[in-house]
Amino acid sequence: MREYDIVVIGGGLAGLMAAAAATKRGKKVTVLSLGSGTLTIGGGIVDVMGYLEGGIPAATPSAGLLQVGDKHPYKMIGRPAIEESIRFFKEICEQEGYSYIGNLDKMQWIPTAAGTLKPTCLVPKTMDTTELKKADKVIVLGFDALKDFYPSLIAKNFKKIPAFAQKEYEVVMIDPKLSEGRDVTALDVARWLDTEDGLASCIEKMRNVVPSGSVVIIPPVLGTRPNYLVKEKLEQALGCTFVETASVPPSITGLRLRTMLVRYLKKNGVRIVEQAIVAKSIVEENNCMAVITEGVDRERTYYAKSFILANGGFYGGGLLAEPGKVIEPIFNLPVEAPTDHELWANYSLFSSEAQPFAKLGLDVDEKMRPVDADGKVILNNVFVAGRNLRGYDFSFEKSGNGVAIASGYQAAMSV
Amino acid sequence: MKKHHNNPDSCTACTVCVANCPVTAATRKFRGPKMVGPTLERMRLSQDDIEPSLEYCTNCKNCDMSCPSGVPISTLNMLARAKHFKNRKRSLRDWILSHGEKMAKLSAATPGMANLGMKMSRGILKKIGISNKAPLPPYASKSFSKLFKNLKQTSYPDKVVFYPGCFINYNDPQVGMDFVAVMQANKFEVIIEEDFVCCGSPLVVNGFLDEAEENAKKNIAVLKKWTDKGYPIITCCTSCGLMLKQEYQELFHIEGVEEYAKHLYDAGEFLLDLHDQGRLNTNFGTLNEKYMYHAPCHLRAQGMGLPGVELLALIPGLDVQDADAGCCGISGNYGFKEDKYDISMEIGSGLFKTIKESGRDTVVSECGTCRLQIGHGANVKTLHPMTLVRKSYEAFHK
Repeated sequence: MREYDIVVIGGGLAGLMAAAAATKRGKKVTVLSLGSGTLTIGGGIVDVMGYLEGGIPAATPSAGLLQVGDKHPYKMIGRPAIEESIRFFKEICEQEGYSYIGNLDKMQWIPTAAGTLKPTCLVPKTMDTTELKKADKVIVLGFDALKDFYPSLIAKNFKKIPAFAQKEYEVVMIDPKLSEGRDVTALDVARWLDTEDGLASCIEKMRNVVPSGSVVIIPPVLGTRPNYLVKEKLEQALGCTFVETASVPPSITGLRLRTMLVRYLKKNGVRIVEQAIVAKSIVEENNCMAVITEGVDRERTYYAKSFILANGGFYGGGLLAEPGKVIEPIFNLPVEAPTDHELWANYSLFSSEAQPFAKLGLDVDEKMRPVDADGKVILNNVFVAGRNLRGYDFSFEKSGNGVAIASGYQAAMSV
Repeated sequence: MKKHHNNPDSCTACTVCVANCPVTAATRKFRGPKMVGPTLERMRLSQDDIEPSLEYCTNCKNCDMSCPSGVPISTLNMLARAKHFKNRKRSLRDWILSHGEKMAKLSAATPGMANLGMKMSRGILKKIGISNKAPLPPYASKSFSKLFKNLKQTSYPDKVVFYPGCFINYNDPQVGMDFVAVMQANKFEVIIEEDFVCCGSPLVVNGFLDEAEENAKKNIAVLKKWTDKGYPIITCCTSCGLMLKQEYQELFHIEGVEEYAKHLYDAGEFLLDLHDQGRLNTNFGTLNEKYMYHAPCHLRAQGMGLPGVELLALIPGLDVQDADAGCCGISGNYGFKEDKYDISMEIGSGLFKTIKESGRDTVVSECGTCRLQIGHGANVKTLHPMTLVRKSYEAFHK
């Protein structure tokens, strides 16, 4: 029987990081994935902890970590492992030629396509705001026909932000001549810049409107591949600094990150099975022997010594909501939730409080093993990572990819 | 078992499918899987509305594979295409490309003449919309079923039924013969069923859904007959496999698919299962050879990983590197079309580049039309994994 050391269930950031850390430890790993995860939706930047209870911004990610509640995954993982996980993530990025900048002791406030700033911890070099902060004059560059990026809105809203109010903004537009066919998204522009001809043509158009020495805010279009070639070539040719904003899906920065991590895993011998719908498990005396996928044809059984459960929350299918209860479908692990499901939601959508449903999830010990209400370990060789963990509303507090990286890493190190 | 459900409302419009669609990356004429699939499907449910760019979808299934919400986007596209063509006149080009089996049977009497005719008539084919640059496959001088009839197999109590599919039967019969040899080396007797017809994949992609359903009914009856007796069914072509086990369930409402699908295997997967049971013939001779491997999209869509790669890893000395560079672009007969040829080559360009840069002169892949396209686009030789497995068994006895 083929047996792996570790089967990772889920191919999102938590699962990919768990697989990476496990491989680094010399383990033989299989990833069972369904869909391509939410990285391509969610921005490709690593938030660790942006806002505290009540919507108060944390001074630094580190300061935020000190103030999380008892049930927060960070509490279980602990500061040393969080630090190591961030270091490990940055090491992979560096090694793969797509390094990320930032650290736990500094909050990075990055521009968004709505003309606001959002707090985060690690960003690709295309989102480095060092020069932007220093600049007196900023160019906001848009592309004709590009949806979801309106430079004048950005310029207008930046004027309302104290740290950015004193700067002068100039809006310029480039016509990528992509209007034929479908609506233009940042992905189309990024693909245009992936090509030599597109890049050369873009440089020519920019020359006329972007003076040398400018700091230029642009949508995330600096190539679809996990490297900095497009950024470097543009900056060299024009003598400018380009800063990508966070934007709406499809996320180009997320696509780059996912491409890079999958490539890293495959290079390191990780087997990735796509379209694998894990439905059941075989458990004997608190140990999982195997998990079972169901396809449209038949079930397939995957044996391993340990399992990492990183198949997401309600969106990813790792947790299922039913009236009055939450179900974890593969191991039937307990999820504590109010039986009155009216209490799951904070009906004031943009309030300064987190969503209660977002905090529903699995309880774990410091090794990320699932525990019952008394804190007793339920499964000795199953480790939980990512969005199915209890105690955090990633969207509210801006901690999603941070929890994914830290918990994925911790799960793999605990095996 | 997972029940199939074509619900466009499961789409949250997250656009992951757009980021993963190879056609969208190659041409701006396609409005993309999200828009053409689930978004417009909501309109199509209430009115007969055709989106012109629907014709660009290749049914490669990368959208389905990337969807976090389990929407069968490509199948929604194929159903919409069929609905559009239901009462419309079809082009001769589309008819010819969809009816490879009929064309092959017509040519069967004199395949040599047919091939000569095909070469001479490339100009005519171009006139009706078939690219004169596309890698149209020649007919084999003898079909697989003819070769098989003349083959003397050793009889064993364990038997499997082989579904060859049109490409192996008429164009590349050696793959079928290699498969039979590999099964014989594992003490299995191979049964060929004359009543099998084309799986319908070429019909579905060109909107001949009713004909595809007729084929499905015939195949389902035959497949079920054998699986009810306990025989596994094996395919070497990943598009046939996907159609027989999955797309029949998505496209049609015919009883019986779920029951036989449990016993339908890709050849590589079947052999790996034998290995798990400790009964694979592991007398593999050393092959000190280097190959690239290309995973067909229709294999990746089946949720079983890359069995061919795992199987070949058992052969001593053999170095097989997964190109992992996405879709080859051919998508059955899509790349044969005059107006799609350039798009098809653009889709495959990343793969061709990866293969050329590897310096390896032969590519292994399960899918027959992928092999055609790769041979054409990367100027390399191509093989089915079964050919290497057979070669390794033979090397053991030398």
